[in-house]
Amino acid sequence: MNAALRSFEAQWRARSADADALQPVREQAMQRFLKLGLPTLRDETWRYTDLRSLAAESFESARCEVRGEIDRNASLSLPASDQPVTTVVMINGCPSLSADLGAIKGIEINSIKDLSRLDPNALARFFPLASDADQRRWVLLNTALFIDGLYLKITGHVADPVVILHVSTADRAHEAAHPRIIIDAAPGSSATIIEHHVTHGEIAPLNNSNTHIALGKDAQLEHYRVYATGAGATHLDALDIHQAQGSQCKQFTIALGGGLVRSSLEAHLNEPGASLDSFSLLMGHEDRHVDCVNIVTHAAPSTRSRQTSRAIAGDVSRVIFNSKVIVKAGAVHADSQQSCRGLLLSPNAEIDTRPQLEIHADEVKCAHGATTGRLDPDMLFYLLSRGLDRETAQSLLVYAFLADVLTGMSVTSARSAIESALISQLPDSQTLRKFR
Amino acid sequence: MLEISDLSARVAGKEILNGVNLTVNAGEVHAIMGPNGSGKSTLAQVLAGREDYEVTRGTVMFEGRDLLAMRAEERARAGLFLGFQYPVEIPGVNNVYLLKAALNAKRKAAGEPEVDAYEFLALIRQKMKFMQMSESFLTRGVNEGFSGGEKKRNEVLQMLVLEPKLAILDETDSGLDIDALKVVSMGVNSLRDPNRAVVLVTHYQRLLDYVIPDQVHVLSGGRIVKSGDKSLAHELERRGYDWVMGAQVA
Repeated sequence: MNAALRSFEAQWRARSADADALQPVREQAMQRFLKLGLPTLRDETWRYTDLRSLAAESFESARCEVRGEIDRNASLSLPASDQPVTTVVMINGCPSLSADLGAIKGIEINSIKDLSRLDPNALARFFPLASDADQRRWVLLNTALFIDGLYLKITGHVADPVVILHVSTADRAHEAAHPRIIIDAAPGSSATIIEHHVTHGEIAPLNNSNTHIALGKDAQLEHYRVYATGAGATHLDALDIHQAQGSQCKQFTIALGGGLVRSSLEAHLNEPGASLDSFSLLMGHEDRHVDCVNIVTHAAPSTRSRQTSRAIAGDVSRVIFNSKVIVKAGAVHADSQQSCRGLLLSPNAEIDTRPQLEIHADEVKCAHGATTGRLDPDMLFYLLSRGLDRETAQSLLVYAFLADVLTGMSVTSARSAIESALISQLPDSQTLRKFR
Repeated sequence: MLEISDLSARVAGKEILNGVNLTVNAGEVHAIMGPNGSGKSTLAQVLAGREDYEVTRGTVMFEGRDLLAMRAEERARAGLFLGFQYPVEIPGVNNVYLLKAALNAKRKAAGEPEVDAYEFLALIRQKMKFMQMSESFLTRGVNEGFSGGEKKRNEVLQMLVLEPKLAILDETDSGLDIDALKVVSMGVNSLRDPNRAVVLVTHYQRLLDYVIPDQVHVLSGGRIVKSGDKSLAHELERRGYDWVMGAQVA
């Protein structure tokens, strides 16, 4: 057993004193986690991300407190101040709920801890059985150790975006936090939810977050997760989406911060007509390592998925995007597309993309494409031949590369903040700003 | 205006141009014709400054300046324009952005102030109307989803906005139906002026019925093998390129 595993086990023992209604689920998850251990390069979805140095550390539980005032504009402000939004602050996974959150039309916002105390069985269905799948390894640990979390029940039409500001903060090195979010959208409801991950202070804990989304019949959700933590931060984030009949989910994963970012998405299109549009914008900057895994399962007829990923790697960064579409037996007329494109801005950067298909049904439409390269020389020459200087031409092409993802965003002020943050990590960012 | 002497160039290690000599004076329209693979497009791209085309010999003077010493963007700002045979699609870069950036780059190089946004839009709309282009052009990406004909119109539109001294149009007529050909020709003719020159690279004589050239040259095997007036184009149409190439061997 490595040092990290030992320390997590110690935390588990320490917290057994305040056992809650979820104890049986937690117990089962922890036992699986201890048995399976941390994922290694030998595990299929972890072959590009080496956690050995992390495994050698001992972790303590991060506290639900923050020193000093939280600067909500510390990394980037999402969305802009003139956009009416509801903001819920989570400190290392612990929600700070204020009374005014109760008054928002179409949504109920509660702490998982409080809710499970009131009704022990209310949340059981959002904690699936422990799985041995390697992409779910850290979710097991999250289930066992999360202190509290947020349960969002969307009951109707929520007019303004809800921002969950995840603040990671630590007093010492080697602390770990396990934020947990449940988004439960009732049939026919609609909402936009932005999860925004930032770091407060100099030290960031190991952040092992999980978000579970359940969409009822015909529910509509636009969901963002924006990683904007500090350069030294390690963030392991898992997102699970379960979709009922006719539900529509538009999901944006934006990596523009952190040192090591591992992001997974598992979507289950469980009933006919369920539709998912997943967009990933993965920005490799300096020595950042971004590893993104998407697994989309079409489990019912006439389900639809679109995955659009754009990876940019500069400096000595590395970006990985693996996506898999599984069409189960009987899921006839499933329609899926995967478009993965990578752009290398430095000879020392690396991008790996791997779209995969696993089809067990007939009469399906599954397309995938993956390309990685430098800026297109024909496009560059075209712009130069019109008199644009090289710097402007290159910046313009980088910006154009990102357009497929950016233009899909409905929250324009969030889009513009994200654009701005992305641009600041590109070479020639001054020139590029002029074209926004 | 343009003086090409003994120009030779290589693409991917292969000699394509073998000693091209050509002089184009202000106010003139020249047509360069020739069979496929004769080096017409290579000549156009070399003149525009494509970097992966390697000039191995010769000189090109443009308005008394050494063109080959200038980078592609400098050539454009100095008043040289290439209308592409296959204009590239650049999704995500708006047509109007590009035009404005191009015009401002040229104005900046000439020491003029940037164009006023309102004036610029008025200018574009006027030129678009002239080229019979739809309003949707304004909101679309550069050549994004354009038909072959729309792309060529867009090339001519850019030329009209940038008002180059020397326009080199590489097979701007190819793939156009007769109506589009007329519009494109009208665009080119509107630019004719004693201070400007046009070089039309074309495979067929058809365009030359609408844009009457002062001189016609036949490029074959990477060099100009025959020059004449507009009647040469008609003769080529009648007798085929084999006629000139046969004459060359003889």
